[in-house]
Amino acid sequence: MQERVPLPTSRPRRRWSYDRFQQRAAPYMFVSPFFILFLIFGLFPLGFSLFLAFHLWNPLDGLGNWQYVGWDNFKLALGAPDQFWVSLKITVWIGLLSGVPQHLIALPLAFVINQSLRKWQSGISTILFLPYITNAVAITIVFGMLYSENLGLLNYALSVVGLGPVRWLAQPDLVPVSVAVVVFWRYVGWNVILYLSGLQAISEDVYEAATVDGASKVQKFFYITLPLLKPMMFYAFTLTIVGNMQLFEEPFIMVGQAGGSGGAALTSAMHIFNVAFRDLDMGYGSAMAWLLFLAIFVLSMINNYLFSRGGGRQ
Amino acid sequence: MTTQPLETPIATPRPPRQKSRFSFGRAGLWLFVGVACFLSLVPFYLMFVWSSLPSAQIFTVPPHLWFGDALVGNFQKMMTATDNFALRQFWNSLYIAALSTVTTLFFCSLAGFAFAMYDFKGKQYLFGFILITMLIPPLVMDIPSFLVMNNFLHWIGTPRALWVPGMANAFGIFLMRQYIVSALPKSLIEAARLDGASEFGIFMKVVVPLIRPILATLGIVTFVGSWNNFKGALIMRLSEDSTMTLPLSLRKITGGATNVNADWGATLMMVVLTVIPLLIIFLFASRQVISGLTSGAVKD
Amino acid sequence: MKKIAMFALVSALLAGTAHAQDKVTITVAAFPSLDTSIKAVLPAWNKLHPNITIKLVAQEFADHHNAMTTALATGQGLPDVMAVEIGYVGKFAEGKGLEDLNKAPYNAEQYKKLFTPFTVAQATSADKRFIAMPTDIGPGTLLYRKDVLDKAGVDPAQLNKSWESYLAAGKVIKAKTGASLINTAQSIYGVVSRTNLKAGEGIYFDSKNNLLVGPDNARFLRAFTLAKQVRTEGLDAKIGEWSNEWYDAFKKGTVASQFSGAWLTGSLESYMAPDTKGLWRVENLPEGGYASWGGSFYAIPTAAKNKQWAWEFIKFMTMDKSQQLAAFTINGAFPALLTAQNDNIFSQGVPFLGNQKARVLWRDAARKTQPIDVNKYDSVADQIVNTELTNVLEQGKDIKQALTDARTQILRRAR
Repeated sequence: MQERVPLPTSRPRRRWSYDRFQQRAAPYMFVSPFFILFLIFGLFPLGFSLFLAFHLWNPLDGLGNWQYVGWDNFKLALGAPDQFWVSLKITVWIGLLSGVPQHLIALPLAFVINQSLRKWQSGISTILFLPYITNAVAITIVFGMLYSENLGLLNYALSVVGLGPVRWLAQPDLVPVSVAVVVFWRYVGWNVILYLSGLQAISEDVYEAATVDGASKVQKFFYITLPLLKPMMFYAFTLTIVGNMQLFEEPFIMVGQAGGSGGAALTSAMHIFNVAFRDLDMGYGSAMAWLLFLAIFVLSMINNYLFSRGGGRQ
Repeated sequence: MTTQPLETPIATPRPPRQKSRFSFGRAGLWLFVGVACFLSLVPFYLMFVWSSLPSAQIFTVPPHLWFGDALVGNFQKMMTATDNFALRQFWNSLYIAALSTVTTLFFCSLAGFAFAMYDFKGKQYLFGFILITMLIPPLVMDIPSFLVMNNFLHWIGTPRALWVPGMANAFGIFLMRQYIVSALPKSLIEAARLDGASEFGIFMKVVVPLIRPILATLGIVTFVGSWNNFKGALIMRLSEDSTMTLPLSLRKITGGATNVNADWGATLMMVVLTVIPLLIIFLFASRQVISGLTSGAVKD
Repeated sequence: MKKIAMFALVSALLAGTAHAQDKVTITVAAFPSLDTSIKAVLPAWNKLHPNITIKLVAQEFADHHNAMTTALATGQGLPDVMAVEIGYVGKFAEGKGLEDLNKAPYNAEQYKKLFTPFTVAQATSADKRFIAMPTDIGPGTLLYRKDVLDKAGVDPAQLNKSWESYLAAGKVIKAKTGASLINTAQSIYGVVSRTNLKAGEGIYFDSKNNLLVGPDNARFLRAFTLAKQVRTEGLDAKIGEWSNEWYDAFKKGTVASQFSGAWLTGSLESYMAPDTKGLWRVENLPEGGYASWGGSFYAIPTAAKNKQWAWEFIKFMTMDKSQQLAAFTINGAFPALLTAQNDNIFSQGVPFLGNQKARVLWRDAARKTQPIDVNKYDSVADQIVNTELTNVLEQGKDIKQALTDARTQILRRAR
């Protein structure tokens, strides 16, 4: 880390200097809004949900009418045949189906746009980013119409070439795929933009130097672009992990509260919501929410570890 | 939780590129990009086409894929379905999103700047804490959040219940910090300091102009997030016809087993209504984002 | 002191409209399409009480009930009048946030005999508090396409004689017309599992909280077996309810029958399939089963600000025959009020059903419907059993194994 510029020695020593004070205090002042807002809006809800995780509470009984149950809620969630495990599996599966292709496509896309299509960059990235601006309610209506079994465009297109009909939103093993496609569609452009802005921050000189050394495009991609893009990749990966692990709106609106045919797209977030608000078991819901938090935390730590381990290269 | 900041050399203006000739590699490249663009646009095309078709033609086999003349009729149907509140609800969404965006840009870039450029006691812990809050699923906090808003602040049913809590949020701070770390050299700050600028002055006069591209990005993301915020509006009970935001209204006119008035024309008109302002704003702002990016982001 | 206050409230209630009125606004929280019923009678209310403004807040069905759950949990942000759907009324009754209408100043005991009997029981908690007044009901009915049956040469009586004859008719219909018998095999499970319950039984639990689901329970075994049979014999169209395919099937007549509440007739007529007017008929559910599909209630939260006017409004909506009929004719909300069910309109034929006198049939069905014991883990059991049923239908899981697994899972959750 860099040292602050030393103050001129000729300066008379003062016990308190505004200049020095504002320099010292500045970073604290600058980051304080987050913590103030967190104190007001975040702390109590968090504490309350942690409290509830150790209680049995039907919210309709009103505040105060809860019963301490120790670790029971956690044991229930982690016990063998519970839906929580199933929902975690479903969440991870949909997350992989949508998340992995997102980055596998966004990264090269951003790279080629940055390298070879710079003249068109503005137009292309605008188009690619458009899906991100749609809202879940609206876009699931449109995709619902595409997926429709008898009337949907997809099955119509298949029927033209003599295939189908495919039960996109009814066949249990297809439902996660159909949901993942929507998630993929919405966020791939977002990742392209993130990577593009990261790529733009990499100096051209580095590439020039590599070209002089005779590096190929592929070599440049792996030995220059990837390492220098790391902060942005870390950010993008983290967002994908967090977002996908908390996936709620798309499946909720598309296949319904119960998660569609046989609960095939019942993600953990949906399951927690159902337990808390439909089954009115707030304590169990809270406990699972904290377990989900742990799962996300572990995945993020793995992500962080992988990034910082490779960090020695530059 | 933090990654090592990259010591990125300051960019110099790029040399002009040579015009490239046709090659198979380049054709494949265009195919790749072309397909991606096409797939991005198809659903938009469809929603616009559908919103202009009479309800009976919207959802048929074989599908209608060209514009119809029922745009006005569908607009009227949408107004009827929302008891003429659709435009008011449009305004509500706009108001909340605008306030949310302006405040978020300010507070998040300020904090991101502090985390990227200063060394101060407890920095890692504070930043780590912020990151961890990002991982917490907000799922079962509905009831206590409602309690805080209702009993403590009496903000239930008001727009500020939606935009105030997110003014300084973890996602924004994290994004700003990551960008500033890789794009701004610390020497810049020191130079400004020697010129006698105050810390806040440095932020406003030196940093903000240099991080415009990422501000535009965060601005769009925040605007989109707020505009599309369905769950928040639901919990904070912006549930009257006059206080509702668009996603809530859209869900009301389409969703749920008990709604016997669902009409494709009205529904798709509202879908389009939720997309259009974002489309316009983004098309404007994208210039800012992209031009900022192409100009090399940081100059000294 | 308390007595005086109570007296004042009661006399205010009795005085009702005669009182010099201050301007008052009461909030009514509802969901579609119940809000349409309320809007239909608002002009009449405003004429009667020009100073009492009704502020109607309507949200999507599930959103409304979630918001009400939060409000009841915190005792905050509650409306004066809360609409509650029948699927929630049992749960809400067991909570503590709603007024007991048996007590003064409401004294609703005297009004109970005015309503279709099962609705009153449905809104009564285990400790006998009566928490909501019924406004509309959804008598269960079997809708069928007469034209499809005629084409197949199937006697409509065969549809509801027994489940076996229903399936047999389905095979003939499929062979002769290509139409499916039912939208999905799950529907069969739905009807079989909730009709002909023994006394003291709820759907999933008995009145002593014993779980009924399991491989030895005849009702679930039969419901699963019949559903599976429908699927293997290709009699269902594999279409979910409220899907686009569902509407399409109604329009095209590719599904010959549908179990639902009486209100589905109104939905078919108004927007799902208006062109099929005259082609539909109704009859009772198979094997003399009676069940309800939907129904709405009005409750007063204990924390409401204007209980007096809330109660006036509820009485207006539920006990005024002309308002009940207005909601029926405008919104198709089948009245819960018995006197409204004796109106002339009930003896008239329903044009959409080829002038069949269906309303009499529905009225009788409603009166024979038994209240179903509600358990707080019903929704848990419902999700688990339906998931297992899908396993049976889609993945060929063994029925007994599925019911055993369902039982194990429910027992863990029902603490």
